[in-house]
Amino acid sequence: MQRWLILLLTLLLGSCTREPLYQSQSYVFGTLVDISIYGESEEHARALASHVEQDFQRLHLQLHAWKPGGELYKLNAAFEQGKKMLVSPELADILVDATQLSERSGGLFNPAIGGLINVWGFQRDEFTPVSPDPQQLDALVKAAPRMSDIVVENGEAYSRNPSVKVDLGGYAKGYALDRAAAYLRSEKVHGALINIGGNIIALGAHGEKPWRVGIQHPRKPGPMATLDLPDGWAIGTSGDYQRYFELDGKRYCHLIDPRNGYPVQGMQAVTILVPPGAHAGTLSDVASKPVFIAGADGWRQAASRIGAGDVLVVDGRGHLHMTQAMQQQLKLVDKNVPLEVLP
Amino acid sequence: MSRWKSFPKLLSGDWLVLAVGLAAVIVLFATLWHPEHAARLQIRDHNGIFATFSLAQDRTIEVPGPLGISHIVIHQGQVRFTQSPCHNQYCVHQGWLSHAGQVAVCLPNQISLELLGDEKNYDSLNY
Amino acid sequence: MKRIMTRSTIEITTTADDHKVARLAALAIGLHLAEAVFPSPLPGVKPGIANIVTLYVLYRFDFATAAWVSLLRVVASSLLLGNFLSPAFVLSLSGTTASLGLLVLAMRLPKSYFGPVSLSVMAAFAHIAGQLLVVRLWLIPHAGVAYLIPVFAAAALFFGAINGMIAAKLLNTSGASSA
Repeated sequence: MQRWLILLLTLLLGSCTREPLYQSQSYVFGTLVDISIYGESEEHARALASHVEQDFQRLHLQLHAWKPGGELYKLNAAFEQGKKMLVSPELADILVDATQLSERSGGLFNPAIGGLINVWGFQRDEFTPVSPDPQQLDALVKAAPRMSDIVVENGEAYSRNPSVKVDLGGYAKGYALDRAAAYLRSEKVHGALINIGGNIIALGAHGEKPWRVGIQHPRKPGPMATLDLPDGWAIGTSGDYQRYFELDGKRYCHLIDPRNGYPVQGMQAVTILVPPGAHAGTLSDVASKPVFIAGADGWRQAASRIGAGDVLVVDGRGHLHMTQAMQQQLKLVDKNVPLEVLP
Repeated sequence: MSRWKSFPKLLSGDWLVLAVGLAAVIVLFATLWHPEHAARLQIRDHNGIFATFSLAQDRTIEVPGPLGISHIVIHQGQVRFTQSPCHNQYCVHQGWLSHAGQVAVCLPNQISLELLGDEKNYDSLNY
Repeated sequence: MKRIMTRSTIEITTTADDHKVARLAALAIGLHLAEAVFPSPLPGVKPGIANIVTLYVLYRFDFATAAWVSLLRVVASSLLLGNFLSPAFVLSLSGTTASLGLLVLAMRLPKSYFGPVSLSVMAAFAHIAGQLLVVRLWLIPHAGVAYLIPVFAAAALFFGAINGMIAAKLLNTSGASSA
């Protein structure tokens, strides 16, 4: 009798938290990576997550824009010297894909402006206020580095414009998400949620219910909204609240407008939802950039151009703008914020 | 000691009392083990979970990281970074966290704070 | 005139029962002290084996004797442990008082249906209720205590049942009529 009582009590105490959800948090890819796997044994989930994390670390080093040693760093050096370099098929594909996306965005998404990003001090681990020389900025803008300046043929790459310096900061995380998702799918995982520095892709579901994500408020701790992320969907946000510095009371964020060489003003955050597809992750990372740069007036047009249908914008005053499609999916935490909904 | 091998005979009322007691225990767990507001702080460092604390008592916690020691304060059910060796101090600027699901991170020092309640109303945070 | 001085000693005659009760009270104190040596994983969660003696006395003698043994155990133990009038003592006293209060009612239940196990479990619940009341009202007036209540209740159920069964075993084998 006592034995049953003991067993029952232990079961009671244990049953509160038991569900087949594995979660791991790590610092890879230079940022916080959160992997949730549902429906696998702890051992298997750990192995899967570890595989994913290792792939992320490999990509992080290979695609690093400014730390020496990786392939991209070497390529940028070659570009600067006008030389050709052999590139891996993976990097070749990335360059081609990024070029296409850059064109689709009307040049607002421009990974070739590594030079400008560097001048503003954002190619470092820590940011201090800088005040670049306006003439230097002007020169960099006029040099007009573009992805289309890069030629990839016969496994080699070179740039027609020596000012091209590729920085895949707005692409690499999304690309990594797609790779991880493809891998986990091939391993027949029932449900997974991968979060790289805030960029998230969902696989399957959280058991019986869909994965749910919160969207960080640009100015307060905690989410400003939540929404369900069905199988294959991805979400990405560009904001002025993670990588920035302040100078004379003004905030300078890491998103640079290629047209004038200055950090974008008047926008706090842009969130994009992407429906399932082989490049859902990549698009969720890339698409928020041109919309952010387009600003509070041009966001709708920029979104259509890049093919984003579910868009949420927080402008410089903290007011919300969103597409109808996004409104249907979003659950706002504070319903009293001024809101504009466009079709 | 052979007489100890047999259990004492439990009377029908005894079974009733045990059953009612068990029901009471179950109900208490079900109702009281899901407080509404944030109840715990979970601190993670580069190794995983550093520690979990109740928000019920004021305390200062020092968490070591690669850059040095970050100072975290729990006060009146809220928590925040008060000092951190990072350059940009974003973590400190996050201010006080008070509800379940809220997060503050010191990325350079690889320390994260998360408030746990019974239900975080989302699985992951997009930012 | 001769002064007659009467000798001023008072003899108290003790019965065999008195000796038994005194021994049992000592046993209760001893058990309580032994238990105090072991650390408990959670504050306030203890098997309370001294209560077995309380139950035994309740059945073999009467409520008044059981109450006396219990309260003596609480006071003497705290004096011996050195925490007389401390919060720990107040908690012990409030728990014991509450459980005695319940026992005086519970002992009126028909004995053919409710044995020592029933009384022990009920008394255990009353004990923690009394303690939690003191904690909530005086010691830690903070909502955090709600988190502990289910754990204490589970302990009360578990240890109450065990203590009751041990008491039942002792009562059966001592040959005394308890049912």
